[in-house]
Amino acid sequence: MNDKKTSKPTNRREFIQKGMRATLGLSLAGLAGVAAFKASADDYVWQIDPFKCVSCGRCADYCVVTPSAVKCVHAYDLCGYCDLCGGYLKPDANALSTAAENQLCPTAAIKRKFVEDPYFEYEIIETLCIGCAKCVEGCSAFGNGSLHLQVRHDLCVNCNECSIARVCPADAFLRVPASSPYLIKGDFTTGNSTSNPT
Amino acid sequence: MNGSFKNILVGGIVLVAIVAFVFWQTKDPTVDFQASMPGEDNRQAGNLVQEIINIGEHFNFFEHSAPEMNGTWPRFRGENFDNIVGEKQNLKDSWTADEPEVLWSVELGEGHAGPAIYKGMVYLLDYDEEKREDALRCFSFADGKEIWRRSYEIHVKRNHGMSRTVPAVTEEHVVTIGPRCQVMCVDRLTGDLTWGLDMLSEYDTEIPQWYTAQCPLIDGDKVILAPGGRAIMIAVDIHSGKVLWEAPNEMQWKMSHSSIMPMTLNGRKMYVYSAAGGVCGVAADGPDEGQILWQSNAWNHSVVAPSPVVFDDGRIFLTAGYGAGSMMIKVVPDGNKFNVEVLTEYSPKDGLACEQQTPVIWEGHMFGILPKDGGANRNQLVCVHPDDVQKVVWTSGKTTRFGLGPYLIADGKMYILSDDGTLTMIKPDTKQYIQLAQKKIMDGHDAWAPLAIADGRLLMRDSKTMVCLDIGK
Repeated sequence: MNDKKTSKPTNRREFIQKGMRATLGLSLAGLAGVAAFKASADDYVWQIDPFKCVSCGRCADYCVVTPSAVKCVHAYDLCGYCDLCGGYLKPDANALSTAAENQLCPTAAIKRKFVEDPYFEYEIIETLCIGCAKCVEGCSAFGNGSLHLQVRHDLCVNCNECSIARVCPADAFLRVPASSPYLIKGDFTTGNSTSNPT
Repeated sequence: MNGSFKNILVGGIVLVAIVAFVFWQTKDPTVDFQASMPGEDNRQAGNLVQEIINIGEHFNFFEHSAPEMNGTWPRFRGENFDNIVGEKQNLKDSWTADEPEVLWSVELGEGHAGPAIYKGMVYLLDYDEEKREDALRCFSFADGKEIWRRSYEIHVKRNHGMSRTVPAVTEEHVVTIGPRCQVMCVDRLTGDLTWGLDMLSEYDTEIPQWYTAQCPLIDGDKVILAPGGRAIMIAVDIHSGKVLWEAPNEMQWKMSHSSIMPMTLNGRKMYVYSAAGGVCGVAADGPDEGQILWQSNAWNHSVVAPSPVVFDDGRIFLTAGYGAGSMMIKVVPDGNKFNVEVLTEYSPKDGLACEQQTPVIWEGHMFGILPKDGGANRNQLVCVHPDDVQKVVWTSGKTTRFGLGPYLIADGKMYILSDDGTLTMIKPDTKQYIQLAQKKIMDGHDAWAPLAIADGRLLMRDSKTMVCLDIGK
């Protein structure tokens, strides 16, 4: 007599049922895993490396948001507070004054305020700024480069494929962790665009 | 379609049209615009209290002496105004790890004032921030010890440095221009005050941005100055301080950072000055000495630092920073007067242009460092031929960029100082960039003051320290 217990053969219906249960279980586990990963992992947003930016002006034209979600920001620590500010005044301006004909910004988005002779403070009015980078170019050419462009995340819709990044001639657009969304000059090192901006 | 419906439709259209027309006529699309007017920055009118300035009022003698040496670098751009050391030097062609040796160094007030050298003595117009004084300091070239100091109280606020001129020295005198346009003449050896002239009060000079960088010119017994304000140029007797002539400033030009350059054009000796507003030539001799022979406002820029450069054929090269670029002019005689012909003008990215230093002509070619807005070649040393100053013969390359610092040629070598105190020695060549040596000498910043070389020694400074290097063999 054969003591060996003979297993009951699985019929086709049971096999399909078990297979379906296993597949469903694995899918649910995978979904839960992905959800848990997404919940814990940092998201990414677009940002401009100001040390790569060449002030071409395309940020103003190519952003899907109007006016552009790219704005000029000011690193006050780097500013020379100059009277003759290359970011505020047109080259060879008639006078060092706030008159419209002397201002470089096409929308008068930079406010100039006397501090003490001979120093002036410059403030960006973001609602007027269109991200044209004219001031950035002037500040970089003749000053300390304290004016620079950044993507403002309260305005940016974070497109999967940023339309400015597609046309940026300097490859200055990059993805940065959403937890550290800005690359402010003075807070991170020149040219090291992957570094964490504190 | 019945008649009443038509009437309603037509009436509706007319009504909409009337509303649209009224809206169009009454709505001001610029109602939210704000005019940008002068004065919105609340700029203040400066010091209301008139400062009393007694030029040369203080003197200190420090009980040191200087052994006499032979060499001289007596003024801005040297004896021949070309930034080339004319005296025979025997300078090293390369440096070992320990070279060039720093022979001595002295701490200075913050600024960009350059030294002049005369027979073993170094003269530098410093600003003493603690005492609030412009101070002409005389050092021994041998060991850097201070011998005497002639000074006067004046308030100069930090504005990208404070001092920024080079004294002019002769056997008998030293003449300085302070940051706020006070001229002082003293005895070269003793430091005794000869005379002083305040261009601010005497000529209504407007102090340029960041204070003046104009260096005085001594021509024989005359000191030539460009006050702007009431006179575009004046001559002062170096012995008495008496004003010999004044060229009126009819064009209302302002003092720039540029210095007066003597030139001989079409057989006439002239003083050429690139002011803020235009360029002019003033007769330097003859019966019409002190008369403006020609002037042009084609070269009109608010900030001009480099001085005019003249080519052998009489063309004058003008350049400036802050987007100005460069211009080539020619002064053409026309009967008893001269006309100015503009030969070419271009932006800084289209040819040789300089922001702060004056280009150097060497073996028929011109060398200069492009400004930051100089396009792809920005901050590079470039060489051009005078026939076409927009065609670059060579550059120092993308990996060899400099800043706003000075450069000078001596003994077939060119010394270039970068902003951060790195000194580069190259062999000036009309075909290619040949670097001989490079070394970081100082740790400071803004090393912009003109260099000086004499007796196999080089004087250079950053914003706060001057060092003397042994560059001789």
